[in-house]
Amino acid sequence: MIRTIISIAITFALIATLSAYEMWYVHTTFDLFREALVSLREKAEKETATVEDGRAVQLFWDKKKESLHVWLPHTALQEVDYQLDEAVGFIYTQSYDDAIPKIEVLIGLSEHIPMSYTFGIQNIF
Amino acid sequence: MGLIFIRTVIIFIGLLIIMRLMGKRQIGEMQPYELVITLIISELACIPMADNSIPLLFGIVSILTVFLLHQIVCLIDLNFISAKKVVSGTASVVLNKNGIDDTQLKKNNLDVSDLIESLRNAGYFSLDAVDYALYEAEGTFSALPKKDYQNLQTSLPVVIIDEGRFDVHNLKETAKDKTYFLNVLKEQGCANIKKVLVMTVDGNGKVYLQMKNQKYKVFNLHWKEQLW
Repeated sequence: MIRTIISIAITFALIATLSAYEMWYVHTTFDLFREALVSLREKAEKETATVEDGRAVQLFWDKKKESLHVWLPHTALQEVDYQLDEAVGFIYTQSYDDAIPKIEVLIGLSEHIPMSYTFGIQNIF
Repeated sequence: MGLIFIRTVIIFIGLLIIMRLMGKRQIGEMQPYELVITLIISELACIPMADNSIPLLFGIVSILTVFLLHQIVCLIDLNFISAKKVVSGTASVVLNKNGIDDTQLKKNNLDVSDLIESLRNAGYFSLDAVDYALYEAEGTFSALPKKDYQNLQTSLPVVIIDEGRFDVHNLKETAKDKTYFLNVLKEQGCANIKKVLVMTVDGNGKVYLQMKNQKYKVFNLHWKEQLW
């Protein structure tokens, strides 16, 4: 019986730790990503955004994406890839009017993706 | 991960409730929670393995959750008798010295023909050959025979009336008609066939008759020759 109780305690602790770390890591990463996107949008609105600014956001995302694949379904991360590639492409051609909606979509995704995988009645059912 | 944990707990409890409600017919040699684990563990392992868009950790956390729930249920089983009854169920005595306990059969979603089939699988062909018959919590069947049970089953009994209805196929085997058996029932004080839980007859004319909520009777029709 003691072994059973110990195994329950260890398993529960493991799951609880993983859950807490996942929530913290995913939220923190997407918060940082959103800050970078907001900054990029402000520059795009002033039409001062350069392709280097876009590449910097892409580089940040690519680094974080590797570890996010452990915690989130890969299809959700691919959606960010597509939108980000398009936004950087529009900045490269200086099509800021087209780039801003793409950046808005990315800001929306950075808010919605972490929310889709955290505790909440809408996610459980 | 917390979300996967909660979802797995909900699916586990949901399946366990369904298995308990479905009764012993669906279980067969497994505790309800063991069957639930068998049902979900292979899917939990296979889906993240085959679908590479799902992180492997989703599968690992689900399996860990199932393991955790299994350990909790084991702990409950060993230490809390009343909780064990809820989780795993109890044995049901479906046949006793008074005959078939229809209430217990219905509780487990079984009928008289299921009981007769289980008895035959256990080597008892006549309902009056056993004193007790029961389904264990995990769905296995066992019976306690009467001392001289082999003398009580010299010919194969067939069901003539099953829960108020004639078995037309078996009726043909006896070469008798419904009126014949309705007259037999009248002689035994039963005017309404709907009140009959079960009536069997063997080739020697030995009848096992049980009315609903009454003790069974065994009598002989004194046929001139053995019919089968």
